[in-house]
Amino acid sequence: MGWIGSPHMDYLGGGIMDNEVKFMIGRIYFAIFGLVVLSIGILEILLSLTGRSFEWGIMEMSGEFLLWRGLILFFAGAFYLPSIKNFTDIHQLAKVVMASVMIWIIAGVKIFSMILESIPGEEGWLNTFEGFLESYSAPYIPSLFLLPFSLVVLYYIRLSGEMLRGGRR
Amino acid sequence: MKLTVDERWDLIDKIAKQTVKYGKYRHTLKDAIAEITVKPLTGIPIAIAVLYGFWSFFGAFAGFFTDGFLVKLFDNHWLPWLQEVFPGKGGWVYYILVGDPMADNCFEAFGMLTSGLFVAIGVVLPAIVAFYLFLIILEDSGYLPRLAVLVDTVLHKIGLHGFAVVPMILSLGCNVPAVAATRTLETRKQRFMMATLLAIFIPCGAQLGIMLEVIPGYVGFVMIYLLTGFFIFGFILNKLIPGKSPEILLDVPPYHMPIARNVRRKLWVRVRSFFTVAIPFVLLGVVIVNIMYLTGFLDWLANLLEPILCGWFGVPKETVGPLIAAFLRKDLAVAQLSAIEMSTYQLVTSVILVSLYFPCVATFAMLIKEGREGGWKGVAQYLFGSLAALIAVVFLWGGLVHLIWIILGVA
Repeated sequence: MGWIGSPHMDYLGGGIMDNEVKFMIGRIYFAIFGLVVLSIGILEILLSLTGRSFEWGIMEMSGEFLLWRGLILFFAGAFYLPSIKNFTDIHQLAKVVMASVMIWIIAGVKIFSMILESIPGEEGWLNTFEGFLESYSAPYIPSLFLLPFSLVVLYYIRLSGEMLRGGRR
Repeated sequence: MKLTVDERWDLIDKIAKQTVKYGKYRHTLKDAIAEITVKPLTGIPIAIAVLYGFWSFFGAFAGFFTDGFLVKLFDNHWLPWLQEVFPGKGGWVYYILVGDPMADNCFEAFGMLTSGLFVAIGVVLPAIVAFYLFLIILEDSGYLPRLAVLVDTVLHKIGLHGFAVVPMILSLGCNVPAVAATRTLETRKQRFMMATLLAIFIPCGAQLGIMLEVIPGYVGFVMIYLLTGFFIFGFILNKLIPGKSPEILLDVPPYHMPIARNVRRKLWVRVRSFFTVAIPFVLLGVVIVNIMYLTGFLDWLANLLEPILCGWFGVPKETVGPLIAAFLRKDLAVAQLSAIEMSTYQLVTSVILVSLYFPCVATFAMLIKEGREGGWKGVAQYLFGSLAALIAVVFLWGGLVHLIWIILGVA
């Protein structure tokens, strides 16, 4: 049930671009992104089931909720991939949005806990400046790296809203 | 002025023309999101993500206040100050109010003003605030009714329906409002089943908060074990109890952004009830257990129940103290367990026993209140029915966990 009847013209990245092209770019983007998310999810599930951890540069896959994080990323990836088939359909876009929300939940609570952990000190009431900065140091969980890439969906939410209203902002 | 039937219909048509807009309804993104959150294939993964968020937020928020500030406040300032200024060191009153004079932390001191206050304010209060805050956001955003639709099929297997998830989730905060929330269920059979099951199997937020402190690595296991019991015994109860389990039509509201003022107000009402209902029971619990200890009653009871506790459940006889305290407050009982010398597996079994064992006194009172709907007969049915289910569950489900440890070779 595609809802792009007549594509409107809009600006993207400085050039004139058809909405259909924008959605085509989105389709390719989320296909690649979905594959990455799915792969990380599978890797995290396998690592948690085998009781191992994995570190690559400043990224780390370990911790007590690794299985749950892996499962959520796996499902997020599984939401992204089929939605590329008819990306312009509002129901497919809803899956992309929810897949992104699932990443935001993992990354969001991680950032929230990092902020909370950085405030109290080991001995005193408040953390030292060094201790505060150290709380934000690497390694990070994969969802924190996926977070900015998942935000692209916000552009498509806006675009779909504009198209549903049938005009340009 | 009296209108004829035709005139009434004409009037209706006129009003409808002025107020109703006709046209083709187009699905919005919000509608599509609302749909995929109730379809099992997409809804269950989303529910897993939401519950993960719930749990992580709960741990981070409660940990921030408890480990970050309140442990320091109670252990480094409150306890030493009390130990220094409180008169009559070594006497009965000192022991009841301040506890062990040699203790260096509030968990182990076991006085009303030390462990009692620390458990209630230092550990449980942040957990309760975190739990209710997230729950209210889920309620007000419209996600909770969708979760009800999602679990409807599963709950039908045990004679309940999706809306039973509301008392279930409320129960994770406190069993008292959860038992009251069973009134939304249609039949007496459903209400009794739900009240009994959640009083036995669902640990409250206070208990969860303490469990995170005492057995952080095993909370997941305990929860899965209890939830499995919930469904198995729910299935059995459904077969045993006569009565109907009708279908319902659930109105699912659209998603919307929670209003900060409503969230604040609801949070305050729920936290206030924790202050007035729970804290006095925690303090009273410490006093009663301490008196029982000082009079030697606890030792006598421990010796009497030793064959059952050690033989059937595989836990030390000293757990009798926490089990008594569990009748007043389960969070307090779990805190007491941490001070008893035992293996990790015995500790996990004891925590499960505390959960399964008699509901706390506030829940017990609520069960009686709900049973009153059917007169004295109703009260008797609720009480004896719940007690029979409880005894069966404690011995079967509590004994089974000991058997699991024996099979795994750790008991």
